Amino acid sequence: MHRSGISSRPTRRVVIGMFGALAVAGGAACSAPGPAASTGAAADSTPTSVSTSIGTEPVTLKLYDGQGLKNVDDVLIAAFTKKHPNVTITPTYDPDNVTTQNQPRQLASATPPDLVRVISVTAGTKNNLLTNLDAYAAAYGWDKMPTSQLSQFRAKDGVAGSGSLYAKASGFTMTGLYYNKKLAAQVGMTTPPASIEELTALMDKAKAAGLTGMVVHNKEGGGVFPFQLLINSSMGPEKVSQWVFNAPGATIKTPEAIAAAKQVQDWNAAGIFPASVNALDATAANAIFANDKGLFFPWGNWEAASLDKTMPREVGFLAMPPATAGGKVAAMSDAATAFGIPSRSKNKDAAAAFLNFLSSDEARQIAIDNGFMPSGLESQAAPTIKQGSVLADVTKAFAEVSAAGGQVPFVQNATAGISNRAWNPETQLLLGGSSTPEQFVTDVQAKYEEELKR
Amino acid sequence: MSAVDGLTTPVDVADTVSATAPRRGSRRGAGLGDRFRGTALPSRARWAGWLFALPALVMYAVFELYPIITAVQYSFFDWDGISVATPVGVENYVRVFTEPQLVASIVHAFILIIFFTFLPVLLALVVASIVREIRSKVAGAVARTLMFLPQIIPGAASAIAWTWMYSPDGAVNQMLRALGLGSLARPWLGDFTWALPAVGVIGTWLATGLCTLLLMAGIGKIDGSLYEAASLDGAGRIQQFRAITLPGLRQEIGVCITITIIAALASFDVVFMSTQGGPGYATQVPGVQVYQLAFTENRIGQSSALAVVLSLIVLAVILPIQRFFKEK
Repeated sequence: MHRSGISSRPTRRVVIGMFGALAVAGGAACSAPGPAASTGAAADSTPTSVSTSIGTEPVTLKLYDGQGLKNVDDVLIAAFTKKHPNVTITPTYDPDNVTTQNQPRQLASATPPDLVRVISVTAGTKNNLLTNLDAYAAAYGWDKMPTSQLSQFRAKDGVAGSGSLYAKASGFTMTGLYYNKKLAAQVGMTTPPASIEELTALMDKAKAAGLTGMVVHNKEGGGVFPFQLLINSSMGPEKVSQWVFNAPGATIKTPEAIAAAKQVQDWNAAGIFPASVNALDATAANAIFANDKGLFFPWGNWEAASLDKTMPREVGFLAMPPATAGGKVAAMSDAATAFGIPSRSKNKDAAAAFLNFLSSDEARQIAIDNGFMPSGLESQAAPTIKQGSVLADVTKAFAEVSAAGGQVPFVQNATAGISNRAWNPETQLLLGGSSTPEQFVTDVQAKYEEELKR
Repeated sequence: MSAVDGLTTPVDVADTVSATAPRRGSRRGAGLGDRFRGTALPSRARWAGWLFALPALVMYAVFELYPIITAVQYSFFDWDGISVATPVGVENYVRVFTEPQLVASIVHAFILIIFFTFLPVLLALVVASIVREIRSKVAGAVARTLMFLPQIIPGAASAIAWTWMYSPDGAVNQMLRALGLGSLARPWLGDFTWALPAVGVIGTWLATGLCTLLLMAGIGKIDGSLYEAASLDGAGRIQQFRAITLPGLRQEIGVCITITIIAALASFDVVFMSTQGGPGYATQVPGVQVYQLAFTENRIGQSSALAVVLSLIVLAVILPIQRFFKEK
């Protein structure tokens, strides 16, 4: 009793004081969070008078990218500044998973970088935070590049895929199927499978031989890969891209997507995927493939360099076969880094010169040397690649897909939260047998619409 | 809270207020006493206390109060963190209690209490009682150090280590197979039923050391003659434990339970590093949701609402526990 009495009065005072503080602070912050509408409008987001000359005055450009791209960016920067000695580029790198979160904040900053990694073109254009590059594209002649290399970075009325250009890529990623050459011979694969049916037959043979048909790892959502590789062809690159670009009315609740989900679930049920697919991460999957225990490995160009090192000349790469024989090939393929210029940048001409440099012969070679597919015109000189390397296979498949207009953005990038909140958990439910193919696409579509409704 | 005591003189607190404060009618009397005794001290001294507390108060206001207030404010808006926010009333709060996945994450947090609190405290009681009987000083110190080791490893790092142990060919499954229990082996973190308990066990491993250390310190304070007297009277180990150890550790157990329940309800690092809430939604917890909503989905308002609800839940659970374990 005595003790509790001691605390009772000060407590009351504290409570009163805290409410006082709350009231004062609440009063000071009574307006809605976020900038006032007037300051939200950015500076010049659609420049009309642009120059392809960067003069001789010293210019310092700030560049922002993810840590994973540091190697290629550093070489690109060195090559560019060697050509233009008056330009200095100071790069900042964040861990890759942080760039998604930081991109909007970088763009919205009062003093943004001059070159910034653009992950979502629509998010960047929503508040006029990105510079419209149409004038530069016309001045430099970027419009002549293959359409599928630029369409991902175009946007109009908040929808990506077409319209004005807002970014340009330093190179591209490429996805498809790595295969173990020795095991492929073992199951009698002499030519690449021409259809999903043939692919399934090969994987069944591998399974019968006690191997993993397809090394899928779904602890962190790798299970989305085989699913999207299937719908790229069955739904068609156009429809899948529109869904990723949030085109009005776009839906993934299609018979083709349900069939693809069923195919993935069937493969898993037939024992074609590793038994513990939901507990497997990329490292563990790599180990299965590297130990000659898996025939196919649905993954991307980023693994090529290490596969060339760990399994030299033992690995090949294929574009995912089309749904039916004779169909067009397609693949998830987006930018290594798509660089854009924030509206508030003061050095747009110099920054645009860097963007232009990204598709030069020199930059194309740098991209290849770092394992990325080169951006630029088809008429440009082909970069040199070590013959017999799996990277050469990947580049060949990329050329095939690019020519077929089959470059599709990753479905995980459709909205900011879709990967964590829908694709990863829902593929885990699908492969775990706790969900049906119909439920799978319905749930993903519901999350998608819920997030876009805002 | 002690900073506020600067307002009142110790004398005042000790007698007048304590006796009268609970009754409304006598507050005036307390005030009079306050004023009367206040004259005994120069007014400078009354403010000196505040002055000493000022740096701490400023830090507290800037880094604790202000963020809390803004979080409460954000929770009533739909805001992406950049553009102008739209007021949405209590919509964000309604969703916390109606969206199945958000509700499920709160349920998971309560399930984790079993692993983060009950098991560690039970284990710690057993271990502390046993260590008390270790006569050798060296052995006692070694035991203490070993028990406390998990506590000095960051939760995120140990979650990664445990992820390896839980992997299909990891230590846990290898051990099961070696014991002839191969049928029980499974990809623990990829199993819809077992992922949450598996994550919970990581928490048990982390919390047991801290609880053991606290309880051993508590046991050290219990008068050894009590045990001596009890054993002379023929009390066995279990009787001694129930009659002496347990009551003597009341406060320490209270501290253990408080700290670990907060760790369970607000868990983030262990879950984030081991499962990210998967497989499916089997291990999703509010801490991870708050992070994902705010930083990957840019739904600052919804995230703030969940964070506010989480804080209130923690308070609602902790305050009665605090009261229960308060020394009588």
